[in-house]
Amino acid sequence: MNNTAREAILGSIRSHLAASVPYDQQEISRGFSRMNADQNPSSSVEICGQFKASLEAVDGHCVIVQDDGGIAEALTRIIHGGRIAISDNPEILRLLNLTDLEIEELGIAPNAHDIFRFDVGVSTVQAAIAETGTLVLDSTRERHRLVSLVPPVHIAIVRASQIYRTLSEVLSLIRKDKEISPAVTFITGPSRTADIELTLAIGVHGPQELYVIIDEVN
Amino acid sequence: MNHLSSETFGENAKAALADSHLRGALKNATSLFGERRKAAAASLPNWEDLRSEARAIKDEVLSHLDLYLEEFASNAGSRGAMIHWARDGAEANAIICALTIARKAQIVVKSKSMTTEETHLNDALEAAGMQVVETDLGEYIIQLAEEPPSHIIAPAIHKTRGQIAELFNAELGMPLTDDVARLTSTARATLRDRFAAADVGISGVNFAIAETGTIVVVENEGNIRLTTSLPRIHIAVMGIEKVLPRFADLDVFLKLLPRSGTGQRLTTYQSYITGTKRQPTDEGPDELHIVLLDNGRSRMLAHPVTRQSLACIRCGACLNACPVYQQVGGHAYGSVYPGPIGAVITPQLMGIEKSAQLPYASSLCGACREVCPVKIDIPRLLLHLRAEIAPRKGKVSERLAFKMWARVMMSPSLYKVSSVLGRILQRLVPVAKAWTNGRDLRLIESKSFHELWSDE
Amino acid sequence: MRVSLFVTCLVDQLWTSVGVSSVEVLRRVGCEVEFDKRQTCCAQPAFNTGYLDEARPVAQRFIEIFEESKADAIVSPSGSCTAMVHHYPQLFAGDPEWLPRAQAIAAKTHELSSFLVRVLKVEDVGASWRGRLTWHDACHGLRDLNLKTEPRKLIRNVRGAEFVELEHADACCGFGGTFSVKYPEISVAILDQKIEAIERAGVQAVISGDASCLMQIGGRLSRKGSKVKVMHLAELLAADSRG
Repeated sequence: MNNTAREAILGSIRSHLAASVPYDQQEISRGFSRMNADQNPSSSVEICGQFKASLEAVDGHCVIVQDDGGIAEALTRIIHGGRIAISDNPEILRLLNLTDLEIEELGIAPNAHDIFRFDVGVSTVQAAIAETGTLVLDSTRERHRLVSLVPPVHIAIVRASQIYRTLSEVLSLIRKDKEISPAVTFITGPSRTADIELTLAIGVHGPQELYVIIDEVN
Repeated sequence: MNHLSSETFGENAKAALADSHLRGALKNATSLFGERRKAAAASLPNWEDLRSEARAIKDEVLSHLDLYLEEFASNAGSRGAMIHWARDGAEANAIICALTIARKAQIVVKSKSMTTEETHLNDALEAAGMQVVETDLGEYIIQLAEEPPSHIIAPAIHKTRGQIAELFNAELGMPLTDDVARLTSTARATLRDRFAAADVGISGVNFAIAETGTIVVVENEGNIRLTTSLPRIHIAVMGIEKVLPRFADLDVFLKLLPRSGTGQRLTTYQSYITGTKRQPTDEGPDELHIVLLDNGRSRMLAHPVTRQSLACIRCGACLNACPVYQQVGGHAYGSVYPGPIGAVITPQLMGIEKSAQLPYASSLCGACREVCPVKIDIPRLLLHLRAEIAPRKGKVSERLAFKMWARVMMSPSLYKVSSVLGRILQRLVPVAKAWTNGRDLRLIESKSFHELWSDE
Repeated sequence: MRVSLFVTCLVDQLWTSVGVSSVEVLRRVGCEVEFDKRQTCCAQPAFNTGYLDEARPVAQRFIEIFEESKADAIVSPSGSCTAMVHHYPQLFAGDPEWLPRAQAIAAKTHELSSFLVRVLKVEDVGASWRGRLTWHDACHGLRDLNLKTEPRKLIRNVRGAEFVELEHADACCGFGGTFSVKYPEISVAILDQKIEAIERAGVQAVISGDASCLMQIGGRLSRKGSKVKVMHLAELLAADSRG
């Protein structure tokens, strides 16, 4: 890579920092101290309910079920047939087969060229955050990067055991990987903008609708 | 593109004040943004601690910026990212253009990046034969309108929905409507095929994590995800000050940035990108290029007061809180970065030659400092810059006036004499007209307090 | 308690009743007040405009004069001028002779309402004034000196006064020193937001702790033919039923 520029920039940083030293010493100490950022105290609201409330506050839809049958029923209510793109998690195909949906076309992790013609994308997740209603998608564990982004509707299937209470817990989780995943995405609700007169419009470039089905038992 | 110049800030401001559409739009936007920010901050009982923590982290990084940058570059590089160093905007543009040409790209999609506005990248890419498409709704609107952004996070905030409808009608053939949802879905539909066809996606970077080599981008619309997932090449452009030490530090900044910027707890999407995909058949771009831009930032490290300018996380809260910005909007500043933060970084990035007015475009009220999530003392910075500008660029008459003022203030007898003179001259001095155009003038009293005290 | 009055050049020349009222109030609460006639200005105009070489000698003069005082405190009826004195250490950073002297004077200098409430622990100065009034938070007093509750406590104890909180009381009035004449149109545009809030409050008077803000606000109110008066906190506190 352009080493001349690199050395010039690093050199410039070092020399300017050095020039600052006499002034740093004069600065009447106004140092800001580091402290452990407080965790928000654990609420007594149970975790699935907290996730649901958080997601609904940002215009997501959430349904809590108890088993595969519940998931299948929810999928039937949300999807009305059409073209469905699913991630490569075999669970999803198994669950779809429990429904009697008339599916026009089923794509398993369609590529960038094909993904645009699907109406719905279905995936699972790798984790979720209750305090914010956030889904955590790790691209190395499931092929859902486009499925969760391009079709106008995204349905995510979550197990209660995947839900953590706080953002900071999940950040630690991601960081724990010896080699951190190349692409992790956090999703909190459907896409939105307020760029026109600060008026909220739901559904811009990402999905216009987000449904999360939580199995709170298994 | 018709850019106003910061050299003519005073004139620009006067024109803005006469634009009632603009003033209405600004009033709504800044007060809404302000209320939402306030409520979001109040919802976190440890808000003040978070601000201090964030500033401590930034101070740590900035005082060892070379080490953290090297760590970031090394970690990102070992994960497959190509790291490019750019001393200035021209070099950054040249690197990016060369890359797009070498990869035989034709269509470039962009998500919002103030840094690329700073370098005028779009002009350079177009000159190199690329079709450049801004995909952030606000940026798309101003691209169609051929205007610069007027706010750091809501670039088209100066436009009413009526103006946007007229624009879409003229440029896209869309029937006139003032339905925001319809305007938005038109933009969505129009841009969809650009994403699909693009060869290169260019994004900014909100945070770059030294410990892991991760770049983090946050958004609400989904265009950053599309820009960084679909095209085969992703170029991420970042100012060198965007580095944070540890992955865990994101917890603090992800609590501060969305709340300060838009009043949200979290933006809809955050993308954590570390190098390139593991398998060629995996989803995502084949190549990741990260451009590290200096463009005057390293110079700001030379003094503790100016160094804090680099702590900025580009939330825009200071703009919304600033009484000057609230009245004149962003274009008047004639700079990519308007408002309070713009008034301090523009002279430092671009030099004081053309931007000497900006540090004076402030009543020093301190509202910006109050809302800044990383506690940048902007008023102090403004004064620091004024102290550099006044002796060199102050009007001769002003410098003389202050020299005389100092003489008078050092001498009780001269002070008394000038008070007497003042009583006579006060209606004549030109300074008075600048006052009396809008306000009645309070006159110097016939007896000063000094004299009254003596009488006692 | 012996107090040395730092009257400020603005009050000295343009609003003497603020100085007179400050002395009255301080005496009423039992202070002995001295006034050093050699004082002129705290150097804020030069400092704020960027003329540090001109500001420094004037600040040094201020320090020298007040150093000679045997008073327990230096008190000023101006938040911005007090804040300026508190900035003296910055002006003399790295100067081994002047820095400690600047720090000592800064530590001794108080704004009037801060002195009354925080130092003397007095919230009722025996004032009375009949009418409906509101308070404008002057920026330096509010943000540099953290004066928010102190003036309000003092005002609420004024007999006969009906206090209403101003909408956006903490919004700048647009004065900003030389800003008011360098960018007069912007200054007045900002000011008009304040004026509108004052008109909506339906008060007879606006009170503030800085004469500069009062000049700005008062100048516009009178230009618009408003009947609303502006009054400095010291003048309000000095008012009593004897008139």
